[in-house]
Amino acid sequence: MPPRDQETALWWARIRAAGPQLVAAGTPVPPGLLRLAEPGGTQVWFTTDIPNAGGPATLDELDLPRPVLEMPNDTARVLAACVRCCWADPAGPLWPGVAVPSGLVVSVFRAMTGRDGIVAHRAVVGALRRLSWPGWLLWDTTAAVVRLGPRVAAWNQAELSTLRELWRSMPAPGPLPAGQDDVPGPEAGDDAAEVDA
Amino acid sequence: MSEMPTASPAHPVFEAVLAELSERHRDEVLAAFAAVEHSPEPVPEVQLAALRDATMRRSLDTLLNRVGRTLIPVGEQAWTSGYRDDIAAGLAAAGHHSLSATDRAVLVLVLIHSVAVPRSRGTVPGDAWTSGEPTMLAELQNASRVQPAELRAALQRLRAAGLVQLVPQRAGAGQSAAYLPGPQLHRLSAAARRRLQEALILAAAPASPLAAAIRARHASPGGSR
Repeated sequence: MPPRDQETALWWARIRAAGPQLVAAGTPVPPGLLRLAEPGGTQVWFTTDIPNAGGPATLDELDLPRPVLEMPNDTARVLAACVRCCWADPAGPLWPGVAVPSGLVVSVFRAMTGRDGIVAHRAVVGALRRLSWPGWLLWDTTAAVVRLGPRVAAWNQAELSTLRELWRSMPAPGPLPAGQDDVPGPEAGDDAAEVDA
Repeated sequence: MSEMPTASPAHPVFEAVLAELSERHRDEVLAAFAAVEHSPEPVPEVQLAALRDATMRRSLDTLLNRVGRTLIPVGEQAWTSGYRDDIAAGLAAAGHHSLSATDRAVLVLVLIHSVAVPRSRGTVPGDAWTSGEPTMLAELQNASRVQPAELRAALQRLRAAGLVQLVPQRAGAGQSAAYLPGPQLHRLSAAARRRLQEALILAAAPASPLAAAIRARHASPGGSR
């Protein structure tokens, strides 16, 4: 394999193994990768761009099992709540969106589910953790803020149209309740419902 | 707002392989790519023409090669994909992986209890890392110095990644949870399975004649890494 192709293969494998890669803005874009400017201008994300027919959605058409996700419904709700909060203007591009206090995500999740207090917090913390490991979200636990992750930039136009409709039908982020402007970090408020055994 | 991400219309990596195929073969190869790359389990070849047909399978492997992957046979009639051996070596050398030291330690404990120990007793045949005896949660707690909360979090992450799987509770109340290696271990190439086996021997019995033989082979020119 020519060195250039070998280098491309290594980039694709790197992203498969460790998620989208944050690199210096001047780095040449390897073939087939999406380049996403990180706010600030000095860094960019590289992520893979797989043709739709080669992506995971094809598993449904082939009647093959999908990867197993724990608490799939709450995880999807929290991702939807993050899209609602971080996509400030759905007429514009989804990426990079805006960073919001994670308490805003909790407020949308509460409005969607009718759950309150510690129950909603636990569900949101568990889902934020599951979504931030693979790069769907960027979750700064110290500052308690959430952003959309670079993976969302690979969603295609049809998916974005669906998301726009969903955005409009979802409850708007509410005001942050006093003293609840963040969610506990991953070490606190562990989602006991998921613990094995 | 920053620029919109743009994807070129003709995909530079995929088209290099797909452009040479007929419309039908192209669809079949791309579907098989989706199946082996994203399915959590090996894909029976009866389900996909591009896995059954040797010519299309070669195109699929070429496509996978271009993104650092390769086709891996599982048993007689199923396929999955994994990293090319040279690419895996490059990733490992550069530290490109998503598992923390704790997660890796817990995974190794499951592999030792479920596969390595039973195989040394002769009860787990072959070289696969996916079958074996369940590892009880209590064994993991006793065998490691990882705190219980950290251990549970590591097991959750490993399950989410398909690297361990929970064994359905056997009859009998009060049993602790039990784990087996997960379906992602099918993605190890033959060379990767051998390296894992050798690394465990070197770690578990460094003074054994077997470990000495492995070290000698690694040290010799042309020996496996």
